[in-house]
Amino acid sequence: MSGVSAASVAVELGGGVLLAPLLPGLVQHWKARLQGRRGPSPLQPFRELRRLWGKSAVDPTGSSLVYRSAPTIVASSLTAAVLLVPVSARAPALGVGRDMLVLGGLLALARFAVAAAAWDVANGFSLMGASRDLTIAVSTEATLVLALAVGALVAGTTSLSGMIAGTAGGGVWSNPALGLAAVAFALVLVAETGRQPIDNPDTHLELTMIHEGPLLEYAGRDLAYLQWSAAVRHWLVLVLAAQVFLPHAQSAWEQLGVLPLVLVVLCAGLALTETLTAKMRILLAPRLLALGGIAALLGVASWLVQLT
Amino acid sequence: MTAWALLAAVALLGAGSAACAAPRTFRAGVAMQACGAALLGAAGFLAFASGTTFGSLFTSGMTPRFGVDGLTAFFLGMLGLVAAPTLAFAGRYLVPGARGGIIACLTGVFVLTLAEVLCARDPLTFLAGWELMTLLPAALILVGRSDESARRTVFLYIAVTHIAGAGTWIAVLLAAHAGVVDGARVLTPGSGVQIAIAVAALVGMGTKAGLMPLHSWLPRAHPIAPAPVSALMSGVMIKVAVYGLVRVLVDWLGVLPLWFGALVLSVGALSAVGGVVYALFQHDLKRLLAFHSIENVGIIVLGLGACLLLHTRGSETWAALALAAALLHTLNHAVFKSLLFLGAGAFERSVGSLELNRLGGLLRRMPWTGGAFLVGSLAIAGLPPLNGFASEWLTLQALVHVPAFGGLGDGLAGALGLAALAATAALAVFCFVKVVGLVLLGPPRRTAVAQADEAPLPMRVAVVALASACVVLGIVPGLLVASLARLAPWPVSIPTSFALRLPGTGSLPTVAIALVLGLLGSALFALRGRRVAATAPTWACGQLVEPQLAWTSAGFTKPLRLVLEAVLRPEREIAVHAEGGVVQEVSYRGRVPHLIDERLYAPAVRSALTAARHARRLQTGRLGTYLGYLIALVLVLLAAAKAGVIG
Repeated sequence: MSGVSAASVAVELGGGVLLAPLLPGLVQHWKARLQGRRGPSPLQPFRELRRLWGKSAVDPTGSSLVYRSAPTIVASSLTAAVLLVPVSARAPALGVGRDMLVLGGLLALARFAVAAAAWDVANGFSLMGASRDLTIAVSTEATLVLALAVGALVAGTTSLSGMIAGTAGGGVWSNPALGLAAVAFALVLVAETGRQPIDNPDTHLELTMIHEGPLLEYAGRDLAYLQWSAAVRHWLVLVLAAQVFLPHAQSAWEQLGVLPLVLVVLCAGLALTETLTAKMRILLAPRLLALGGIAALLGVASWLVQLT
Repeated sequence: MTAWALLAAVALLGAGSAACAAPRTFRAGVAMQACGAALLGAAGFLAFASGTTFGSLFTSGMTPRFGVDGLTAFFLGMLGLVAAPTLAFAGRYLVPGARGGIIACLTGVFVLTLAEVLCARDPLTFLAGWELMTLLPAALILVGRSDESARRTVFLYIAVTHIAGAGTWIAVLLAAHAGVVDGARVLTPGSGVQIAIAVAALVGMGTKAGLMPLHSWLPRAHPIAPAPVSALMSGVMIKVAVYGLVRVLVDWLGVLPLWFGALVLSVGALSAVGGVVYALFQHDLKRLLAFHSIENVGIIVLGLGACLLLHTRGSETWAALALAAALLHTLNHAVFKSLLFLGAGAFERSVGSLELNRLGGLLRRMPWTGGAFLVGSLAIAGLPPLNGFASEWLTLQALVHVPAFGGLGDGLAGALGLAALAATAALAVFCFVKVVGLVLLGPPRRTAVAQADEAPLPMRVAVVALASACVVLGIVPGLLVASLARLAPWPVSIPTSFALRLPGTGSLPTVAIALVLGLLGSALFALRGRRVAATAPTWACGQLVEPQLAWTSAGFTKPLRLVLEAVLRPEREIAVHAEGGVVQEVSYRGRVPHLIDERLYAPAVRSALTAARHARRLQTGRLGTYLGYLIALVLVLLAAAKAGVIG
């Protein structure tokens, strides 16, 4: 394995598994600053994970193995997704391959586990969150696949590392297909990370929850797994945004070097959007995401037009 | 050797079916049937793996001919794989008596008929088997129950499949006439005959496969059949229609024009999305499963459409892989859908009604059946590492490659199909979370459910066997895909491996994904520990958790219903009855009407009846009028002959 491949693997595992909680931490930190508060330190998610790790679980009456195993299923499918999403064009495959369409399957598995757990404890608020999450996921998944498909068409492969290589440079500015796909992916990014205007991660009102709803009953290590998984979701989509849809360097070393910077800038962008926009009506969110899907479809069309 | 095994399987099935009819030999007969089906499956897969062809080749003649080639062998294997557990299940599900015996006997004959359609090598045998395949389920439904609604449904089923099924006759006879059945002639792409055959096959066989908008019979007929028959209908019968489509469109017709491929793709996309959307709003388990069959046939046909487009564009490897995707999904759907229908049958036997809102907690009461049903649900939802995911992944890949090799029109069709399939997958997750939650999880919602008993051993074995098939097919799809791609009538070479390593993709290492998920899952579950502070009641904002607070099927899907309101046009009625300012009673009624039925079929039926009323005026019953008709006819014919139009 060459140096750059080893470094890619190190960044991928270290960043995805260990440093991912820093991303939501940064967003929360800057959001507080932008709103004129002091806010928590960016390291707050780590502190919370440590605190939760020391606490014991609470099993609601009547819950079964489905409820107890859901956090592990979510955490393991998100870990598999970390192994899937490369940080540079030279990252070697880590067993699970590098295919973009596998990502959708792994995220769907996590969604299924959480929603099934909500049914298992028969908590109305959890079910409300789960049913909204699944509704929004319909247009998110279609838009995600279409946006990635544009990248795949430009790069000529559905392998994510191949796509990083194939879209390197400033293609997003010059190539309308990639530009439109980037717009679509930006909406997917907001939906998958559960941020405003689609969802409000800070809400404490059960009636307004989407992603947080199904987590209501969990405590202790179960909750730690789920919060860590939410952070990993940030890592996955932000890395994809940085390395496929935003301008990125040709050489793998430069890709690795610039990545932390781009991630920090994207976190700041998320904090800014959260400050400037209010949460939209839940039923309008699928429409917004469908607009993203249409943008990606136009991206495919413009790629096909360029070809002829 | 394989041929002898097939003959032995057919003999066993036939003898077993005869034995079933008598109550004394019922058990022995069912055992023979199941063994015969198992032998049929084994022989089919063996012939498929070794690539041997035996018996006759396709002929345009009218003498009965039988034979087996790769495609037939694959479908025979699938038939056996599904029929063996289904027949074993039927042995305990059916009560050995007059009706049970007849149903078991006819079920065996139904399996034989399906095998006959697959092995037929001349137009007449094929069409005879095709008709029998349509009529036998109707007979089975009527033996099982003969109330008014069942009779009406059977009438509708036979009417729809026969009116639209005429397409099958036209396609097969026209193909025999044009000489493409025995490969004597290759049609010019886009010629009138080729288009006529293709469209007739799509209409006729598409109706039988349950493609939208010709699916109207399917969600009515499948739920009312006895569970093993539903499993065979959804699992195999509609797949035999897929076999017909593949045979005609891919094998016989050569290169089809692009617009036809795009048409097939759009019909598939419509069926996939439409099927799953209507499935979401069903509140009866078997009806919901029937709508999912429409969805899955849609996914299969999406693969087939991608195959046609890619073949026309000259990308032979990906065209073959798209065909492999369609066939792999055919097999996968056969396995998990028959599993789900058998599971539903086992639940029905234990608790009676399958109304989704009145089940709950069956995983606890029936761990084996419930566990297998859970595996089937995960598989049909297309989740890794089970088999549904592998074939949906391959279909998605094929659709991504349609724009990669295409022009603007077909490229956009491919992209739309891709979006439709991605949305379908997400909707299927939604739907099966609902099914799993309402059937298997949570507190039981009525007494019969709370006291449900686990199914007897043969039924448990049947569902567990099918569930293990879901796992195995999910882990080693690579072994099948290479051989399936070779079924395409053009040369391709794709390496065989456990994982799906294909050019132009990031590959799907199914074994590694299953291992990573399994190992990580168990490690994290062990790390989680068993320390539990206390059991606490579920949080309901401080309210007491009461049965009235239980979520319903309609409640869970409400956000989606509201999002799709403009398309679905749900109906809703709330009547509040108040007396002296105090609400005494609130009644609610809501339903999602089936748009294709109400906007397309109902007006068609109405205008047909009106036309029939007008036509009745011609029938006066007076001899003079009829003589007048005859004279007028003779005069018109004579005039036509004089003018040189006829004769």
